[in-house]
Amino acid sequence: MPVGGMWGSDLVAIRPEFFQVMKSPFDDTETVCVKALVPDYAIVHVQEADIYGNCRILGPSYQDALMARAAKKTIVTTERIVGSYRMQEEPKLTAIPHFLVEAVVELPGGAKPGICYPEYQAVDWDKHKAYQKAVKADEVQKYADMMLEGRL
Amino acid sequence: MKNKMMSLSQATDLIKDNMLLAIGGNAMHRTPSLFTLALTKKPVKNLKLCGAAPGLATDVLLASLQADTSYFGFSGLENEAGLSPGMRKAMEGEGKVRAIEGS
Repeated sequence: MPVGGMWGSDLVAIRPEFFQVMKSPFDDTETVCVKALVPDYAIVHVQEADIYGNCRILGPSYQDALMARAAKKTIVTTERIVGSYRMQEEPKLTAIPHFLVEAVVELPGGAKPGICYPEYQAVDWDKHKAYQKAVKADEVQKYADMMLEGRL
Repeated sequence: MKNKMMSLSQATDLIKDNMLLAIGGNAMHRTPSLFTLALTKKPVKNLKLCGAAPGLATDVLLASLQADTSYFGFSGLENEAGLSPGMRKAMEGEGKVRAIEGS
């Protein structure tokens, strides 16, 4: 797909598998084209979703709404399930609409030991240190058991 | 509209070998970390991951070596959480996972 803003970046020369320069079909100007990644799934954690997959993201949304649109389908984990009336009250706040979504999982604390504004606003440092140790010791599955107890 | 509710285990079963996954959130913020931790309990492998600033949830699949490629602009946990431990393990030295940086 064509993009603006790549001029001046060395990536255009370094990564020909991702960046190519083409003539614009509208005039003779040169245009940088970027190869699109098409994810099989976007996986997104949100604060609010209804049972159909309409999602609200509170606070910064980063690239999540774009990822849901780029991917073939989206899997959502959510802090809580809300009634669809929440979406109908303020449709503009729906970051991801239901037709992009294949699965909705109610999973409070789904971003732990990280942060999910405004539900938990600080890293759980004890659990994060335990993760760092688990990575070094090749014990990520054991750590997963501890974090997921009663949720699978 | 169709009811799409399912369990964490049912949702992780949708992920198959070799799939490309875009993982949401940023660094330590709102990443689907319990989902990817649940994926470490499944035999899925050779995943490809992508994101602009992937963080904790992506790190889990690099630590478990269930991914073989990661596309990113910046990859890390930021602030006090620092570098991404699973990414370092997967990419430093012999480099078991391919890093494709495109920022």
